[in-house]
Amino acid sequence: MFKNPGKRWRVKAEFGLFTFPVLLCIAVAFYIPFAMTIRYSLTKWNGISKNPVFVGLDNFKQILMGDANFASSAWFTIKYALLYIVIVNVLAILLALVLDMKLKTTPWLRAAFFIPYILSLVIVGFIWKFIFMQGFNSLGESTGWSVFALSWLGTPGLAFISILAVSIWQSIGFYLVIYIAGLQSVPDDLKEAATVDGAGAFRKFFSITLPLLAPSITISVFMALTNSIKVFDVILSLTGGGPGGTTYSIAYDIYRDTFQNNLYGYGTAKALILFLAVLVVTILQLAFFKRREVEA
Amino acid sequence: MKWSPGRIITEVVMVLLSLLFLYPLFLTIINSFKSFGEVMTDVIALPKSLTFSNYTYVWEFINYPRLFMNNLVITVVGLVGIVLISSIAAYKLARTKSKLSGILYFICIMPMLIPFQSIMLTVLQISKSFHLSESTWGLGLLYWGFGAPLAVFIYHGFVKGIPAEIDESATIDGASGFRLFFSVIFPLLKSVTTTIVIIDVMWIWNDFLLPLLMVNGSPDTKTLTLVAYTFVGQYTSDWQYAMTAMVMAVLPSIVVFIFLQKYIVKGVVAGAVKG
Repeated sequence: MFKNPGKRWRVKAEFGLFTFPVLLCIAVAFYIPFAMTIRYSLTKWNGISKNPVFVGLDNFKQILMGDANFASSAWFTIKYALLYIVIVNVLAILLALVLDMKLKTTPWLRAAFFIPYILSLVIVGFIWKFIFMQGFNSLGESTGWSVFALSWLGTPGLAFISILAVSIWQSIGFYLVIYIAGLQSVPDDLKEAATVDGAGAFRKFFSITLPLLAPSITISVFMALTNSIKVFDVILSLTGGGPGGTTYSIAYDIYRDTFQNNLYGYGTAKALILFLAVLVVTILQLAFFKRREVEA
Repeated sequence: MKWSPGRIITEVVMVLLSLLFLYPLFLTIINSFKSFGEVMTDVIALPKSLTFSNYTYVWEFINYPRLFMNNLVITVVGLVGIVLISSIAAYKLARTKSKLSGILYFICIMPMLIPFQSIMLTVLQISKSFHLSESTWGLGLLYWGFGAPLAVFIYHGFVKGIPAEIDESATIDGASGFRLFFSVIFPLLKSVTTTIVIIDVMWIWNDFLLPLLMVNGSPDTKTLTLVAYTFVGQYTSDWQYAMTAMVMAVLPSIVVFIFLQKYIVKGVVAGAVKG
C-alpha cells in the first residue's frame, strides 16, 4: 500500500497535540510530586536546612518498628474503614429497598438524604461539634434522656463512634443514590417469577436482588474504601484528634508530621506506606468483588 | 397505585426519618439567627425574633463577596480546564488503537489510586516553584491535573460508545482535527460533560486540604471553606457567628442543588457507575 508520509506525520502531530496538555497537567499534579516523595522518603529533612540528608530506608524501619503514633493511627483507620464500609453500605441498601417501593414522597426523601453530601466535610464536622457540645445539652434538658448527657467528643470510645456516625450521616445519600439506580435495573419479571415459585420476601432478596445488585456493591464498597482510608477533614473539625490523641487517622498523622512537626522526610515515608496500602487493598477488593458479580 | 395502610405507614415513617436526618441542619440555621445569650441558654428553641445582624456582621467581617468570587474563580478555571483537556485527550486515546495510546491512557488514570496525603508536601513545593501558590488562578490551574484522571476515565468509556463512522463522515465533509472535535464530537459528549461538571463542582467548591496548603497565606485568596474553618477556630465560643458562617459557606451549594437536583443525582450515578 502506498503510504503518505505527510499524512502519517499529521496524524502523529495531532495525537501529540490532543494528549499533551492532559499529560503535562497530570505530570505536574501527580507524577513529579510522587517521584519527589519517593526521594524525600529516603531522607531526613526538616524543611529548613538546605539539603535533605540521605538516610536510606531508616525512616521506614523506624515507622514500622517503633512509631506508636503510626501504629495507633493505623489501627484507628483500619477500625474506622471496616466499620464505615459495612455500616454505610448496609444502611444504604436497606434505605434504597424502601425508597425503591415508589412511594409518593420518594423524590423528596432522596433529596433529603442526599443534602448532607453536598456540604464540605470540614463544615459538617463543625456543625456536629456544635450539636454535640451545645445542642445535646438542650436536648438532654428537654427530653431527660441520658444519652444526651454523655460526653460524645470527650471520651475516646464515644469520640470514635461520633466520627463514624457523622461521616455516615454526611455520605449515606451518595451510596443510597447508587443503590437505587442499581435496584432499578433489577428486572421485575425475575422477582415475579420467584413469587410464583413461592419465594418469600427474604428469599427473594438474598437469591435475586442481592446478586443482581453486585455491580453497585462493588462500586460502593470501592468508593467507601478509598474515602475511609483517607479520612481527614471531618476529624480535623470535629475532634481535632482528641481526646488525648485517640482519634488521629493515618492521613491526619501524616499531615501532623509533615506540616506541624516539620518532619518532612519522615512524613513522606509514612505517606508512601499509605499509598502502598491503598494500592494493595484496592486491587484485592476489586478482584474479590468482581468475581462475585453476575449478569442480569 | 393503591393506598394500603402498610404504604401509608411506610411513607409517614420515612418522612419522619428524613426530617430527623435533616434536623442538625435545621438547628444550624435557627441558631444563626439567635443572639449569643439565646444560643447558650437554649439551642433547640426557635429564635425569638428574625434578625439578620449575625449575617451582616459575618458578611463584612470575612468579606463574603471577595471569598465568593475566589471560590467562583477557582471552580470555573478548574472546571473549564478539566473538561477541555480531558475530553480532547480521552477522545484521541479512545480512537487511536496503538500500544502507546494504551500506555498513555493507563498513565492518565493511574493517579486515581494515589492518596493526596502522599504527595501534598511536594505538590506544594512544585506549585511554589511554578508560582501557582497564593493565587486563585494558580489553584484553579492545579485542579486541571487533579481532576483529569477521573474525567479522562469517564470520557474514554463514553467515546468508545460513539461510532467511529461519525468521525469518518465528518472528515469526508472536510472537517478534521480540532474542528472535527469541537463541532462534531464535543456536542455528543454533553451528557457525560454534565456528570463531570457536577462531580467536580461539588469537589472543588468544597475542597479543603488543597486550598489550605495553596491559598491560605493571604486574606485575598482564601476560600469559603477555609475561612469557615479559621473563623470557627477563633470563635469557638461565639457559636452564633460560627453557625452564621457555616450557613453562608454552604448556602451556594444548597441553592445550586435545589435547582439542579435532577441532574446532580443522575450525574452522580453516571459518574459512579462508570467511574
